[in-house]
Amino acid sequence: MQARLRVDHETAYCSRRRPDVRIKLGSFVKVRVPVFLRTARVIAALGSLAAFLLAWPGAELGAARVDDAFFAEKLYPILDQAQCRLCHGEKGVASTTRLEFPREDASAARITAFGLALAEFIDPRNPSNSLLFRKPTNRQQHTGGERIKQGSGEEKLLLSWIGRLAELSAEERSAAIASGLSHAGGPHHGVMRRLTHSQYNNTVRDLLGDRTQPANQFPPEDFIRGFKNQAEGQSVPPLLAEAYGAAAEKLARNAFRGGDRNRLVPCAPRSAADARCRMKFLRSFGRRAFRRPLTDEEVAQYDALFRKEAAAGDFLRGAQIAVEAMLQSPRFLFRMEHGPEGPWYSYEVASRLSYFLWDTMPDEKLFRLAGAGKLETPEQVGAAAREMLQDSRSRKSMEEFLGQWLRFDRVLDTIRDRRLYRDFNPELAAAMTEETKRLFGDLVWNDGNFMDFFTADYGFISTDLANLYQLSEPASEFDRVDFPEDSGRGGIFGQAMFLTVTSKPSDTSPTERGLYVREHFLCQEVPPPPPGLNASLPPVTDEKPMTNRERLNIHLTSESCASCHRLIDPIGFGFENYDAIGRHRDKHYLTIYPTRDEVMKGLKKKETKYELPIDSSASVTGIVDSEFSTPKELGEILAKEPSCRKCIVRQLFRYAMGREETPDDRATIERLYADFRDSRFRFRELIISLVQSDVFRGVPVHVNP
Amino acid sequence: MSIHNSLSRRSFLRGLGVAGAAVWVGLPALDAMFNTNGTAYAAATPRLASQAVESRFVLWFNGNGIIERFWIPRETGSDYRITPCLTPLAPHRNDIHIITGLDSPAARLPGPGNDHHRSMSALMSGTSFTGRGSGGPSIDQVIANKIGRDSRFRSIQVGVCQESFGESVQRNMSWADRDRPLPPEMIPQRLFDRLFGTKDAHWIDRKKSVLDAVRDDAATLEGALGSHDKARLDEYLSSVRDVERSIASLPPEYSEVVERPPEGGDLKDWPRIAKLQTDLMVHAMASGQTRVASYMLTKCQGLSRFPWLGHTAWRHHEYTHGNVETPPGQRILRDINRWHVEECAYLIAKLKSMPEGDGTMLDNTCLTYVHEHAEANAHKNSGLSLIVAGGLGGLKTGLHTRVTGTIGDLYLTIAGEIFKTDIETFPTAGKRLTEII
Repeated sequence: MQARLRVDHETAYCSRRRPDVRIKLGSFVKVRVPVFLRTARVIAALGSLAAFLLAWPGAELGAARVDDAFFAEKLYPILDQAQCRLCHGEKGVASTTRLEFPREDASAARITAFGLALAEFIDPRNPSNSLLFRKPTNRQQHTGGERIKQGSGEEKLLLSWIGRLAELSAEERSAAIASGLSHAGGPHHGVMRRLTHSQYNNTVRDLLGDRTQPANQFPPEDFIRGFKNQAEGQSVPPLLAEAYGAAAEKLARNAFRGGDRNRLVPCAPRSAADARCRMKFLRSFGRRAFRRPLTDEEVAQYDALFRKEAAAGDFLRGAQIAVEAMLQSPRFLFRMEHGPEGPWYSYEVASRLSYFLWDTMPDEKLFRLAGAGKLETPEQVGAAAREMLQDSRSRKSMEEFLGQWLRFDRVLDTIRDRRLYRDFNPELAAAMTEETKRLFGDLVWNDGNFMDFFTADYGFISTDLANLYQLSEPASEFDRVDFPEDSGRGGIFGQAMFLTVTSKPSDTSPTERGLYVREHFLCQEVPPPPPGLNASLPPVTDEKPMTNRERLNIHLTSESCASCHRLIDPIGFGFENYDAIGRHRDKHYLTIYPTRDEVMKGLKKKETKYELPIDSSASVTGIVDSEFSTPKELGEILAKEPSCRKCIVRQLFRYAMGREETPDDRATIERLYADFRDSRFRFRELIISLVQSDVFRGVPVHVNP
Repeated sequence: MSIHNSLSRRSFLRGLGVAGAAVWVGLPALDAMFNTNGTAYAAATPRLASQAVESRFVLWFNGNGIIERFWIPRETGSDYRITPCLTPLAPHRNDIHIITGLDSPAARLPGPGNDHHRSMSALMSGTSFTGRGSGGPSIDQVIANKIGRDSRFRSIQVGVCQESFGESVQRNMSWADRDRPLPPEMIPQRLFDRLFGTKDAHWIDRKKSVLDAVRDDAATLEGALGSHDKARLDEYLSSVRDVERSIASLPPEYSEVVERPPEGGDLKDWPRIAKLQTDLMVHAMASGQTRVASYMLTKCQGLSRFPWLGHTAWRHHEYTHGNVETPPGQRILRDINRWHVEECAYLIAKLKSMPEGDGTMLDNTCLTYVHEHAEANAHKNSGLSLIVAGGLGGLKTGLHTRVTGTIGDLYLTIAGEIFKTDIETFPTAGKRLTEII
């Protein structure tokens, strides 16, 4: 099945680029040659296959024939094992370098094309001088260290491939590089999205006037790759299907308890069997429940159910059972889309807009626009969106985005060692998230420069936060307060929210803080520690009391740790002057408890305390001139950093689309970024630009120029 | 609450059939229905004529690992000394088999996620973490697909502590398939309503016609969908079919003998909720509603707090890493692990208190108690220590055995030797651990 799908996928793909290839490819498909052979032939058909070449430099390789399949079969597994992709992937910490590995699920064709495109990193005149050779073996300084051991068999295979690439003619070389790029991804299939729990609650509120928030009783939603609304994580296990059923039953009953209170029936039925009124009801309610007009077939199905139930002599009982069933229809629970060629395109855009901007179903006005086919062009969509952003529902929806992006759930679930942090309590944690929401809201809804999110020398704080920050109290709760120049605070990194969510119960964690900056604000994923590694740090002892910086130094003494930790920890050191709840500290206060051995031998009975000086000099590997020592300074660096600015675009894209961006989305992201920048980073303009994009509007995007 | 006495008058209840076929819902197996050996239902009962008493599988889990020093007995064989963490199991030592030394190699394959994600996926399914969830179906689901198909619920998932980092692989232990979690029911009242809520015949009829309409509606959709979406729709429809089956076989009278857990009370009093959930799970099995259950006491990389143990400064995961070298730190971990064992011992005691045939429910149950890692601080996933309990399938009990093998080997042994299914393979399995049978 898998192989079949891939075949179709490639046929479609290749036929789009080079119609003349299709027939040939079709014949391969019929004989069902293995993916590898087929791939090689596809490349051959595309004209980028050079003559068969000899292995270089060693004849000692003997049997290893270096043809195009060599890369995918022999070398790629080695590079995979060396975990190159984890940094040089689309979201890796080395994503700003020129080298980007295919995704984990890449097709064999993509891998083969990638292998050839590595010609970009080859010095044809002097192959052993190639980056492709010198970097992974750490002959040339490589942040990731020596991934391929010098003098190993793996290195020989790498050299063989380099030799193969070095033999390409200049023309073949540029074709190979271009082909590697154009294979960046397959066509993206739209995914059917399920209503999130909050969308379910809001939708039944608007559809039925029901404010009971039934989805709060559903099995809770899990975070998948940073957000709760990602389509790939939205399964419907039996427990949820059962909950949908129970909720539908209750909602339908409530809707008609004491008559048709919410006027769901648009006519006065003359009898329980009034066919005209029944049809009218099914069409009007159905259009709002399914967010598009019903087909005759659909009406007939619900009509049968309605009639059977109303046969007992009660029109509303029929209406009730139809509502109950519709609320369990996949057409209600999922957002089905057929795209611009389908019959309900404008309606689909209306739903996309309303669920992104309002977190609920379209209102009557959007339905009217959709019915008139006036939600198709970017201008029409943009105009509708601007109006929607005037509505207070959009504030709530964007706060939902913010809360998931920055993981407010974790802030609210924080625990602190009470002996060390007496001021910390759940109310303070809630105030921390409120401060972040207020700054976000101030910038978004007053059309400020959104990059001030990282630099603002003011905040909106409560009395408790003012005490924590050692500032004078605000005039009223969450009023604007300016931070003094010497406070080091400014923007998100000076906020207790960030400083707390990245700490541990008893102390700060420079590692967590560095990771958070990379993942949330640079959209980079740092590879996890190698499996099986004991990741715990050695305990600090009285012989050598240490600050976090000294303690984490152990990460740099071992290459397996250092290759990643030098990307992480040096960022976190810049916040060491702020403790685990965001209070400023001049010294690192350290408590060392006696170990089991010490107690047994009577060497030490009580804990000892130390005050150690803090060195908060820090930097972000990969960003030039990024030395900093306060939260505010990092904010200023990131506010100017394109990868950070782009990351904001990417995060909003993921939330809006319910999926991660793929290589095919690259041009879209670039265009959104350009619009964002040109608007001087007004977040509302980013939203508008996003909803106007082809991707958001469900228009097929042509990736290749 | 004595199920046995209050039910001995009753007989099997006949539920409404799916698609016309009669489905029989069993109440706890009753003396009158056993043959003289006490091992099989008397021939008079329609569906279960001369079938063996239902065998049942419980997969029991707590998050994070253990503190090996206080958990693993030093001696093997039958004369091992009970360790501090295992003291709650002392009364049941003849019902359990402590198995140590199992490897979970899939947890060490390179890939996405942290050690917790990887250990969890490997422990449940023998496959590596996908970045979203488990790489394949978990062992309880593999077994449920073989033995659970005739029950009202193919399997049930029960949970207790809720505190976690919130990701799918951390919150779910049962997986229908790759990236398809089956979330546990965490709220006792809701679990009760699901299992024992009573409905009248009219309600059942009405519900069935609603679900029929939903399925008819969905059927007209399929042609228009891409393969990806079709798979998602199929998943929903198969869930709807599961719901339909559970409706069609409601056991109305059983609710009269199982008490609905009281509303209110401290919703984070986990020891109380753990026991309520255990009771409901056992009653669900006793009444023949399901043969397979998973029980998730705490979450993977769990963040539970332990006020009843007096440890409130940190949360579980933090205790497993902070100050673990100090005596107070080790004592805290010992207390926490002992609490886990205590809740598992409560389940064993409960199963033993339910008479069935000439023995108890425990005789017809295989309970497998696993935790996320071996030593918690090191995230160790070799040398796992776990417990298999119950009299089913000739499991040897009263022993501590150090084995050489993988978690997959153990699961294959359970599926093949204890449940006698035709399951021949399981990821990471290479052999059957015949020494435990």
